[in-house]
Amino acid sequence: MNNISTPVRRLDAVEKTAGYTKYIADRDFGDLLYGKFLRSERPRARLVSVRKPALPDGYYIIDKDDIPGENAIHMLGADWPVFADDEVRFIGQSIALVVGPDRKVLEELVNQFEVRYEDLPAVLSLEDSMALKGGALHNDDNCYADYHLLKGDPDRAFEEADHIYEHTYETGPQEHVYMETQGFVGVWEDGKVHLHGSLQCPFYVRHAVTPVLGVKDDGVRVTQAPTGGAFGGKEHYPDIISTALAVAVDKLKKSIGIFYERGEDIVNSVKRHPSRITIKTALDKEGNITAMDFDSILDGGAFESCSCIVLQRTIFHATGVYDIPSTKLRGRALATNHIPFDAFRGFGAPQAIFALETHMDHLAEMAGVDPVAYKERYFMKKGSVTITNGKIHEEVKLPEILARAKEMSDYDRKAKEYGKGGNRGIGLSFFNHGGAFTGNGEKAIINAHVKVRKRADDVVEIYVSNVEMGQGLMTTFSKIAAQTLEIPIEKIEFIQPDTDIVPDSGPTVASRSIVIVGTLVGKASAKLKKQWVDGEEITVWQEYEEPDFVIPWNQDTFQGDAYPSYSWGVNVVEVEYDPVTFEVSIVGLWNVYDVGVPIDRMIVEGQIEGGLVQSLGWAYLEKMEFKEGRIQQRTMADYVIPTTLDVPAIENDFILNPYPEGAFGAKGAGEIVHNGGAPAFVSAVEMASGKRFDTIPLTPERIMEAGR
Amino acid sequence: MSESYRPESLDELLKLMDEKDLIPFAGGTDLMVQNAAPVLPGFKKDVVFLGHLKELQQIRKEGHDLVIGAAATLSAIESHPDTPGLLREAVALIAAPALRNRGTMGGNICNASPAGDSIPPLYALDAKFRLQSRKGERVVKAEDFFKGPGRTDRKKEEILKEIIVPLKEWNIKKYRKVGTRAANALTKCSITAAAKVKGGRIDDISIAFGAVGPVIVRDRTLEQNIKGLTMEEMKEKIPSILSDYSAIIVPIDDQRSTAVYRKQVCLNLLKDFLEQDMKG
Repeated sequence: MNNISTPVRRLDAVEKTAGYTKYIADRDFGDLLYGKFLRSERPRARLVSVRKPALPDGYYIIDKDDIPGENAIHMLGADWPVFADDEVRFIGQSIALVVGPDRKVLEELVNQFEVRYEDLPAVLSLEDSMALKGGALHNDDNCYADYHLLKGDPDRAFEEADHIYEHTYETGPQEHVYMETQGFVGVWEDGKVHLHGSLQCPFYVRHAVTPVLGVKDDGVRVTQAPTGGAFGGKEHYPDIISTALAVAVDKLKKSIGIFYERGEDIVNSVKRHPSRITIKTALDKEGNITAMDFDSILDGGAFESCSCIVLQRTIFHATGVYDIPSTKLRGRALATNHIPFDAFRGFGAPQAIFALETHMDHLAEMAGVDPVAYKERYFMKKGSVTITNGKIHEEVKLPEILARAKEMSDYDRKAKEYGKGGNRGIGLSFFNHGGAFTGNGEKAIINAHVKVRKRADDVVEIYVSNVEMGQGLMTTFSKIAAQTLEIPIEKIEFIQPDTDIVPDSGPTVASRSIVIVGTLVGKASAKLKKQWVDGEEITVWQEYEEPDFVIPWNQDTFQGDAYPSYSWGVNVVEVEYDPVTFEVSIVGLWNVYDVGVPIDRMIVEGQIEGGLVQSLGWAYLEKMEFKEGRIQQRTMADYVIPTTLDVPAIENDFILNPYPEGAFGAKGAGEIVHNGGAPAFVSAVEMASGKRFDTIPLTPERIMEAGR
Repeated sequence: MSESYRPESLDELLKLMDEKDLIPFAGGTDLMVQNAAPVLPGFKKDVVFLGHLKELQQIRKEGHDLVIGAAATLSAIESHPDTPGLLREAVALIAAPALRNRGTMGGNICNASPAGDSIPPLYALDAKFRLQSRKGERVVKAEDFFKGPGRTDRKKEEILKEIIVPLKEWNIKKYRKVGTRAANALTKCSITAAAKVKGGRIDDISIAFGAVGPVIVRDRTLEQNIKGLTMEEMKEKIPSILSDYSAIIVPIDDQRSTAVYRKQVCLNLLKDFLEQDMKG
């Protein structure tokens, strides 16, 4: 057998590149009706009345009165209704679903509704939210979450500080721009609703739909359709579409599809949380950092969705790869009348890392030291105490990662030669990412199960609820099983996730698929190998076991090991700056990662490059503005993501650091790749332009406005 | 539902235009987006296809002019040996290759978007448009043709037949598009500038700015003030030239950029042209 990292041809490569793959909108479901939402036009209003249009034959309107169970979408909380009841909280919120055979007629019918609103004072900024404008939207303080962390003795450090530097950093929303837009089909089958959809988490959809229909767990079936990208945008948003669709299918007993067009998707689906993070740093006489104080605020938008968990990841990554002796943190996710913000690759960590790395760059500049040399002094090591008073249990290979990155990018020479304000710049970011669910979530919330079944023909089937969505999971899981069983990968079959068929191994999120579920697939395969008898059918189950070395997690106090393992990385970005137009072009990109051992080097490089480009887009191109609660960039022409011409060739390498609890030594790799691009880019632009920045997207307009 | 027509000849096209109220459809790269709807696009009026007519696709040299058929594709113009450099540069930066293979210059002109990228070079190069109807033809200067965003001097029964670009000798040229990204980008602002300098004296100069007003910004009076100056005289006058242009560049804020940025960048580009490009 080969080394596990040696690339194989992806199992879905041919059918996807040749265009054979049938995504949900490509499939033939026979007589299919379509659904189209009537949506709120106001950011915050009381719904006075909804006058329905006269319906042609074969057309239906589904609204809150058709819901057999609860009008509440169960995610973590359940504050987001399937259909607006007496109030609307954001522009785009579902009020009703119109169903019928002709999409053009549906559009006309949606326009014929007469909705009367009584406008309420809308919460359009974090300031509005903190001032409780128009009365609280959530609880009595507009806080979906208000968390506090304490390590060491920060109060004393600030008292004794020789110098204190405080600054605020802001990041904007980000649209996922998965290539395949949101889509679902619901059919009435065997006396229940069967949902097929483009999604990351089949059991999340089931969890959301069952209370709405008022049925037990197996009263709804959810099958994942081939999914053309997700990036967190198909973690919870499919719950919004599928709950409404399930109500319609349950009532009409007909097959119905909801397929978003691009413009509809950009404007109505969830986005990455905008952030405002203030960092205050205490320095002693020698200029050493003695303490940091963080005030981390996320705009949660109109409903809670998973803002609390995103915020947890933001605050647990507040100090990045650095061991800061004393820290103090307050983290809040605030309710506003913006579209709800939700999961997006990195899940709150990119916001924290951008603020921290940029802050560290500024501290280095004030100290008159190269930022890399400055940051190195604070690197975490094995045994370092984390911001939650947990421990780093693994060898931290940052020095090796940095050495390799410098070698590849020629950082030292360039940083010295370019100087400040010479129109050429190079920036380097350090970052990490905790693998899998925060704290004890993997045991307490998910407790994943996987099933591996050998058929009588000696083909081995993998049953998990984690999905292939372009990241290569079908191939990597099959590789783990094949390598463990020492059989060819052709003898492995990855079963399409379906809640009636596969066990719940948890959602496809949080960089957990390989490090948690892939590991269980490996363990199950090892068991099967021991029991293997040619020609016999054998089924093996495997349940998640928490590593025994962790410092136990307390979910009330947020103390202990937030994550058992971390992946680590360095991004280097080189830019050219045009002082005439304030435009920046990226001319070099280098990345080095410790992801344990990559399960298929080419697949992980795909993650590295895709995640980096996504992070760079967020850093300088992807502007999304709200005006009176309405998104202004509503098309792919105005919401600008990078093209191949915006990105030079990218070079990658790995420092191996096998993780004993991960399959073949693997750790998470799906999200860390979005953590470092933005700060490295901004750092490079600071060098090239001689200016200092604190806000992304760093558009030419912002560069122009920034003072020297 | 709208009807669509596909005439076999220019005469047939002109007859249709005369008899009916039609949307001329060349490459459709703007129209298909503007009229997008679920499943099939929905046009408000009937449509006539003209992109296939050979009579409208020719690109030829006529005396001191390059005559470009309105239905010549952007790719054809980009690759034609006689296309003036400034126009070629501008066309080559429009959208992406697939769109340039389909989109036409006539369509780009008649769509009359303030951000239409082929238009500023046409202003700067003193291009004229030949319009034709059943009754006859007329020639209009580029700057007289555009009336505002989406509005032109073309009458209902007319089609834009050809674009006439004088092939003047410019020895200093600058085209710069400032877009939202490196490719497939909409323009925030652009400069097209050309000068003819002989023996240290500026014989001719032409400067046009795109996407900073309802129509392209070009001011012949201001150009007249520069013409005839020696290079040294011009250099001394740069502050006053910039202040003159500052008064006529009045862009807006929109979802792509800000008025302040657009104006500043236009002035920076002009300064760069006068100081750097006009060194020789």
